[in-house]
Amino acid sequence: MERGELLTSLKDIVGEENVLSSEMDLALYGYDASLERGKPDVVVLPGSTEDVSKVVKLAYRAKIPVIGRGSGTNLSGGTVPVKGGIVVHFSHMNRIIEIDIPNRTVTVEPGVITLDLQNTILKKGLQYAPDPASQKVSTLGGNFGENSGGPHCLKYGVTTNHVLGAEVVLFDGTVVWLGGKSPDQASYDITGLLVGSEGTLAIATKIMLKIIPTPEAVKTMLAIYDSIEDAGNTVSAIIAEGIVPATLEMMDNLVLKAVEDSVHAGYPMDAAAVLIIELDGMADGMERQAGKILEICKRHRVRDVRLAKSDAERAELWAGRKGAFGAVARLRPSYLVCDGTVPRTKLPEVLGKVIQIAKKYDLPIGNVFHAGDGNLHPLILFDERNKEELARVHKAATEILQICADVGGTISGEHGIGTEKLKEMSFIFSESDMHFMRDIKSAFDPVGIWNPGKVIPQRQAANA
Amino acid sequence: MNIAQLMKLSYDEVAKCNKCGFCLPNCPVYLAEGKESSAPRGRNATTRAVIEGRLQWSPEIEKAIFSCLGCGACTAACFPKVQTKDLVFRDRECLVTEGLYPKIADRVARFLEEQHNISNDDNEERSEWQEMIKDIPEEALNKDRAEVIFFVGCVASFFPMAQKIPVNMSKIMHRAGVDFTVLGGEEWCCGFPLIGAGMPDKVKALMEHNLAKVKDVGAKAIVFTCPSCYHTWKHLYQPEVKLFHASQMLNDLIRDGKVTLKERKIKVTYHDPCDLGRNSGVFEEPRQVLKSIPGLTLVELASNRQLSTCCGGGGNVEMVNPELSAKVAAMKLEQIALTGADMVVSSCQQCLRTIATRAKRQKMDLVVKDLTELVFEAME
Ligand SMILES: Cc1cc2nc3c(=O)[nH]c(=O)nc-3n(C[C@H](O)[C@H](O)[C@H](O)COP(=O)(O)OP(=O)(O)OC[C@H]3O[C@@H](n4cnc5c(N)ncnc54)[C@H](O)[C@@H]3O)c2cc1C
Ligand code: SF4
Ligand code: SF4
Ligand code: SF4
Repeated sequence: MERGELLTSLKDIVGEENVLSSEMDLALYGYDASLERGKPDVVVLPGSTEDVSKVVKLAYRAKIPVIGRGSGTNLSGGTVPVKGGIVVHFSHMNRIIEIDIPNRTVTVEPGVITLDLQNTILKKGLQYAPDPASQKVSTLGGNFGENSGGPHCLKYGVTTNHVLGAEVVLFDGTVVWLGGKSPDQASYDITGLLVGSEGTLAIATKIMLKIIPTPEAVKTMLAIYDSIEDAGNTVSAIIAEGIVPATLEMMDNLVLKAVEDSVHAGYPMDAAAVLIIELDGMADGMERQAGKILEICKRHRVRDVRLAKSDAERAELWAGRKGAFGAVARLRPSYLVCDGTVPRTKLPEVLGKVIQIAKKYDLPIGNVFHAGDGNLHPLILFDERNKEELARVHKAATEILQICADVGGTISGEHGIGTEKLKEMSFIFSESDMHFMRDIKSAFDPVGIWNPGKVIPQRQAANA
Repeated sequence: MNIAQLMKLSYDEVAKCNKCGFCLPNCPVYLAEGKESSAPRGRNATTRAVIEGRLQWSPEIEKAIFSCLGCGACTAACFPKVQTKDLVFRDRECLVTEGLYPKIADRVARFLEEQHNISNDDNEERSEWQEMIKDIPEEALNKDRAEVIFFVGCVASFFPMAQKIPVNMSKIMHRAGVDFTVLGGEEWCCGFPLIGAGMPDKVKALMEHNLAKVKDVGAKAIVFTCPSCYHTWKHLYQPEVKLFHASQMLNDLIRDGKVTLKERKIKVTYHDPCDLGRNSGVFEEPRQVLKSIPGLTLVELASNRQLSTCCGGGGNVEMVNPELSAKVAAMKLEQIALTGADMVVSSCQQCLRTIATRAKRQKMDLVVKDLTELVFEAME
């Protein structure tokens, strides 16, 4: 389809003011929070499912790629248009459609900001458990696309465990509902397949989520360590005891210092590592569990364990943890977050190796992560404008993911594959694994319009 | 300003933006328009792309860069504390050099050059509001020498809706025995609108005149009811004398027993003007003043202090894009309504205007007052 015709048809669907096509706009929809960059052909801001369906139908006929976009905060290039196409930005589709308290579900449009939903239902004594550190900006559509996790996902599970159903637009513009309020579905669990598929199989226009009552009691502890190994061993020991805290987060010295400088929450600047351990649930029995954890910490030479004494203190600790990437970013202009997962018992070993890599490539690397899940986030700091440094960064990141794969882990915890980690897919998947994925992809996307160039490497790249 | 100069001044700052997006939900313009070009992250990416030669200045960039309110809410949410508003104002300087800017700014620049005020009236009319004061002799407001200069500002001098601010402030100071004067026709605009318009080099003449007047009067302090004047003096003029915002002076007067307040049984919320709160760090004094009124209940807005949402009146947007300004004001009204307060108090003539005008348009039953008005009414 010729460009002028494409623009006119899109304007007919969503209205002139909701079609963006200037050079400036195309440059601004070419990035997300990763280091990748691309350029779409055009951007649309739909207002309804019907708009989206019509846009997709048009794209299908014209064989033009379609890339869904929430707030563009994903860290793996998931929203970067690598082959041009139409970016569908959901900023105007941000209504909470239904809050069904008796059934404990909410239905939202994809552009609703995660924390906005949370704040709305907290007033009713309910919560949506997944809490990515980016929750104040990320959208539920983006969380759906990335299967996002967060500190509390240790106990409550990641996004997919909370998605009950979705209204999705298929490749030819057809709109279907998947799943629903009842917990078990009669047919295939297609919703489960779509969550985390990074917009490569379909696009969600409504999402139905599970909500739960807020816990009766919460206890937040900060355990301070003089050695990173001791902190790591504490994590595996707690889980081995059969305790599942709501969170088990770890930050190393580099991150701690940066966080304390920016939020002043009282984090010890000289510690080698800290754990944020939160318990929640019934008030009954919580003391006993906290006592047990304290004992485990002591066994692993903890320097001190502090208890958050008020909601404000607790909020400060979390503001620090959730702002960790940003805080570290104050040290150097750019950062790359690696997102690997390893078996918990391997944590100390892998952390040691990450430190070696930092030395080898002469790069500052901070560590902040969901320790309970074994989900590491080494943060490599640098200046993107220095090309030589950037090249070292990419090498270091690949090596870190290789280590994760080598110890029996995987190359993504929650930030997705996008374009950034395509080349590392072969660390964990065989050619036949990927062949199978390509088959699934073509069933959902026969002409290849959905977010091309993401998640599954091209055949030749994988063989190389 | 050209791109080489922009690169020198802005490149390192803009490179600190790592595109995390945390600023997006804080930016009222992004919330109103939902486009990346209205988001702080998008503005920074634009600046960077221009510096790196990936984008050329264009009418689209002009429109986007001139839609920033300069409210600074983005920086409050940003961990590397990227100074997006300063970067935007510098972009505007380049756009002015390129001839890509809202031409209404030329008119304002001409008014300031010729008449020294934003409304193109004879500058002697700055004292028009004094006619509303019956019980203070003219000489008491217009002295040759005084301890304190009351810098009234253009909006409060010329716009009828805001004139009660200098009236009330003068009455309060007079009753409290403050030795003060206004400058009348010798007060020239502080130049703030020129900074937002990308023409900061034109501020110099205004600044030199105003600073000379301070010397003439021999004042030891200046008090401002306009937060933007206060901010401009504090950050750009940096005179040797003490600078007070009205809320700070009121707080001192109340503390020292020079102003005593009687009971008012009202429920109010307080709107932090961007240039007073976030951009100048004055959060507590206006609240202290409110709390000194017996019987008054202060309910905070959900977004307050550092996170306060702009009223829509900043960054010359009201002049350049009134529709956008109105949308932001409507968002502010929604937040105010959620507090359940009977009255919203601000300490800025511009906020007063934008909020009150929007409330009237929407037929919302809301009392909007400047802090000076509320204090004067509550005085014994
Ligand atoms: C500082 C920082 C901290 C972060 N912390 C975390 C964290 O703790 N945990 C975590 O998991 N992630 C984290 N992230 C990553 C990111 O915030 C999440 O991946 C988030 O879910 C992305 O949401 P978004 O709205 O920005 O989506 P986008 O980045 O816009 O999109 C993400 C993906 O979803 C797809 N998509 C968007 N909308 C739809 C839709 N309607 N239907 C189908 N697909 C769609 C897109 O095509 C893309 O592939 C962090 C990012 C930053 C910058
Ligand atoms: S301005 Fe700050 S908060 Fe906004 S994207 Fe850039 S780094 Fe993030
Ligand atoms: S200064 Fe205000 S309007 Fe301008 S980008 Fe920042 S938050 Fe948005
Ligand atoms: S800030 Fe005050 S003096 Fe300065 S231009 Fe505005 S109204 Fe005039």
